[in-house]
Amino acid sequence: MKRLWKIFSRGIIVENPLLMLMIGLCSALAVTTSVQNGIGMGAAMTFVIFFAEVVISLFRKLIPNSARIPIFIIVIAAFTTMVDLVMKAYTPDLSKAMGVFIPLIVVNCIIMGRVEAFASKEKPLDAAVDALGMGVGYTWVLVGISAFRELLGNGTLAGIQIMPDTYVNILFFTLPPGGFLVFGLFISLNFWLKKVFPAAADAAKEAA
Amino acid sequence: MKATLKESAGLGLTLALFAAGACVALAVVYSITSPTIKGLEKRQTEESLAELFPEATSFQLMPETLVSADPAVRFTESYVAVSGPGERVGIAVKAFGPSYGGDASILVGVDAGNGIAGIKILTLKDTPGLGANATSPNYFVDRSSGTTWPMQFVGKSLSDAFEVKNDVVAITASTITSKALTRIVKAAGDAGYARLKAFAEEGK
Repeated sequence: MKRLWKIFSRGIIVENPLLMLMIGLCSALAVTTSVQNGIGMGAAMTFVIFFAEVVISLFRKLIPNSARIPIFIIVIAAFTTMVDLVMKAYTPDLSKAMGVFIPLIVVNCIIMGRVEAFASKEKPLDAAVDALGMGVGYTWVLVGISAFRELLGNGTLAGIQIMPDTYVNILFFTLPPGGFLVFGLFISLNFWLKKVFPAAADAAKEAA
Repeated sequence: MKATLKESAGLGLTLALFAAGACVALAVVYSITSPTIKGLEKRQTEESLAELFPEATSFQLMPETLVSADPAVRFTESYVAVSGPGERVGIAVKAFGPSYGGDASILVGVDAGNGIAGIKILTLKDTPGLGANATSPNYFVDRSSGTTWPMQFVGKSLSDAFEVKNDVVAITASTITSKALTRIVKAAGDAGYARLKAFAEEGK
């Protein structure tokens, strides 16, 4: 149990895919203009990484080493297309807001990276826990960045007006440069978190 | 040599098996979701049409595609709005054209009186907070009357110039979006009106 917790917690701060490993940034910056987008993208990506890691871990002994990359892509692409279809059918507004970034989960480095580095070598249970950790790590950063940008750039949070009427929206935060700035702030926040919770860091080091 | 051939065949076979598995899974999900997706699209179009022509009782999909005079703007389907027993109220044209962030699509309604009945922006991928204000219900070109950007076209005569910053109010800091969308509206409006005129002549 403790071992699984170590695997899970690693993705959240110490090996956060966005803030420490610095992969999968494209989608993280592009869709984080509103909180709904952040939650939707995080959930979609968590779904894909979870099933991709579990399936690949289940079949890891059947996947020939020299053909592994195409097989990974087939598995990831299949789950991404499923998410895309399901979102189009049941959350059409969200699907519209995300546009091309849902199909682009296929080439998200986080999924490819975890599948290659972790799921293709470990047992399904460990892979599932790792996927959830990475998914949560990705989602909290997305929701955090998008809350920050939506509040300052649009005066709202999840579509609800928060700022008083006299507040003038700072458009800068909605635009890509603002995204980079907020992202930078989150990287330093993550370094601070790592210092505050050194125990978690040690635990993760042991696990790794 | 023989061994490598066998190996490659094996690899290909494994790959094919995985692909086949993925295809089956996808086919299942597709067959479950596709009626909902199609229904949603249809309902969205119907709702938009009803918004443009509130007095119309039914809409007929036109068998032919209208021809655009503007090379940058293309049309997909168009609908004739009918009110009561066969009275044509107007025509709605679904038009695509390039905007700042990629193709935008607008449903343009033209009424028989040479005017725009209204426009409905269906897809727009322009910058949030700037060009995307075109679709925002909280962005007004005239705050006192609560006129949003698309609403300024309601009742606009097609003989107008359709010039941004002249007879079309631009979206603040988004001249490119304003111009691109106005161009689509104008092209679709002209084509729709030409078709309506042809209808009237056929009727005579």
